[in-house]
Amino acid sequence: MRKSIVLIFTLLLLVLISGVSMAQDCASPDVLCVGLVTDVGEVDDKSFNQSAWEGVQRAGEELGATVEFIETQDAKDYATNIGLFAENGYDVIVTVGFALGQATAEAAAAYPNINFIGVDQFQGATVANVAGLIFPEDRAGFLAGALAGMMTQSGTIAAVLGTDLVPPVVAFKEGYENGARYVNWDIELISTYHPGGLDVAFTDPEWGATTARQAIDLGADVVFGAGGKTGNGALIETAGAEGVLCIGVDTDQWETVPEAHSCLVSSAMKLIVPGVFELVQAHVDGAFPGGNYVGDVGLAPFHDFDANVPQEVKDRLAEIERLLIDGQISTGYNPGG
Amino acid sequence: MTTKTPTEPGQERLKQFLLAAAIPITAVLLAALIGAILLILSGADPIAAYSALIKGSFGSERAFGRTLEKATPLILGGLAVAFAFKGGLFNIGGQGQLLFGAIIAGALGFGISGLPFVIHMPLALLGGALAGALYATISGALKAFTGAHEVITTIMLNFIAINITDFLANGVWKDTSGIVARTPAILETAAIPRLGTNMPLGFFIAAFIAFLVWYLLFRTTLGFEIRTVGLNNHAAHYAGITVARITILTMGISGFLAGMGGAIETLGVVGRFQPGFNVGLGFDGITIALLARTNPLAVIPAAILIGAMQGGASQMQFDAKVSFEIIDVIQALILFFVSAEMIVRYILRIRADQGGSVTLSTGWGQG
Repeated sequence: MRKSIVLIFTLLLLVLISGVSMAQDCASPDVLCVGLVTDVGEVDDKSFNQSAWEGVQRAGEELGATVEFIETQDAKDYATNIGLFAENGYDVIVTVGFALGQATAEAAAAYPNINFIGVDQFQGATVANVAGLIFPEDRAGFLAGALAGMMTQSGTIAAVLGTDLVPPVVAFKEGYENGARYVNWDIELISTYHPGGLDVAFTDPEWGATTARQAIDLGADVVFGAGGKTGNGALIETAGAEGVLCIGVDTDQWETVPEAHSCLVSSAMKLIVPGVFELVQAHVDGAFPGGNYVGDVGLAPFHDFDANVPQEVKDRLAEIERLLIDGQISTGYNPGG
Repeated sequence: MTTKTPTEPGQERLKQFLLAAAIPITAVLLAALIGAILLILSGADPIAAYSALIKGSFGSERAFGRTLEKATPLILGGLAVAFAFKGGLFNIGGQGQLLFGAIIAGALGFGISGLPFVIHMPLALLGGALAGALYATISGALKAFTGAHEVITTIMLNFIAINITDFLANGVWKDTSGIVARTPAILETAAIPRLGTNMPLGFFIAAFIAFLVWYLLFRTTLGFEIRTVGLNNHAAHYAGITVARITILTMGISGFLAGMGGAIETLGVVGRFQPGFNVGLGFDGITIALLARTNPLAVIPAAILIGAMQGGASQMQFDAKVSFEIIDVIQALILFFVSAEMIVRYILRIRADQGGSVTLSTGWGQG
């Protein structure tokens, strides 16, 4: 008994007396330090958090920045986790996801010398040290819809969506429908929003799967899954249906949802990695843009379906993308009106 | 600790106390030790990790305040479970009762205006606690009148509570100024303030409640009845105690405690009810109650310990690059060693009849 107790207490004592923190040189003005705080989730989530972290890592490699992340476990810790970076002299702090918007705004007011990048955080008012990295999802959706409209054989296409409580989801949907109509005016559209609240709408793959199945039974032969894990459920369900294509969202889901390889023709991507990197670069250049910063979007590569997509479809998509960027055609999505 | 001492009453009591405390303390140390081995195996430096954990939980006034803040719902959740244990009931429904307490406190906090702080804050706090009590009474009544096992009914009611509170926060009580499903912020008059800049008043309320629970259990007739039913409800019945009444009352008070935990979270920490902000708190209460061996006063240090681990986890990630999952592992190991106390007794050579037992409904302290 004595021996084991002595051993245990010695170890504990060692732990206690060594309570000296490691010095970080981030406080030095010469050292660029970039910290990232995830939403409740992990940096290898194959989605949002991961893309943002890859952007930060790229800044680490190309700009020589010291980079670090903290995974949030409890939504009440957003401010604590942002504060850890802020108090340790970090120069740029990236917060990932809509939910961190309030904590980010509060931290930005408390630390005016630190620049904050809020991924997917729309800025209602411009604050000099907060850049909200947002994306024209309607344009990505328009391209996905045009692709679907040109690839369908049955003339019916579907979208399985997260909740309409989240504006980007609505933008994806409106863009998708208008893109499909742009190439094929008579197309039949089956778009379904998840009926639940924010806390379930993106984490309900079963609902996504059954909704995709219903649409396929109604004759849809292209399914656009846009809504986190809910959308992934739709993609995986579609992969099991013969002759039906699917389109992913946010990242190139060929990499993130391998179960959908048999149907995944492309993905409507938000280019988070370059967006985050560009903003860190802007900080280095002394030109950090407060307010909203619009990142780029686009279609992911066709991968195994490259041979199945006719050259004229590819040409038409390139043409549509050019017209959208030039402003010669509109996605028809107008949240104000 | 096991050396024979003359059996003077005072010394005997101290010895019993030390023996009883030795088991959870050893369990914590063993869990920390195994955690250290896991850290080494995963390539991290356990000394750096643990020192960061301590720095993040006790290293500054703000860190200490955060630890107390994390400990507050754990005290009340732990009390809820421990109290039910004393009455022979296993309340797994702390999470559901806590959610109801949290949302009702939030609704009273934003829905009523014009009251001064001295009325508004206690009203919202007690309203939340009563909501938890009423919700737990459902399980108590089902047990008393139909014999439905409280483990089953409380677990099922957890899911119902999650969905009802989400529905309310996304419906009638939704803050319509934004798209996030959450209630409006509570008014200033309903908020539980901090003492100074960092010390949460809610913690001291919770600690005071722990003393009240101890007093109720060990110094009142009702407490005696509850413990008697917990030990043997047949004997209690023959002794003239109305078991059904005690069962409902025990669940009601247990739910009151859990509901108050949720109310303090809303009024003192989050400032509103928001789905996803109270995940797992009710379940941590079970850990706390076991670690405290169902003693209401021991719940306080047990909650501070777990609160410190949760509060320091971010600092540990930051300083030592250790993922927060290790905290969950250590917490589970503590629970394991407290539950499998034969292992600890073997290490400490404590005999089975010494130092009390952690059997759910017959914790130490009734002798």
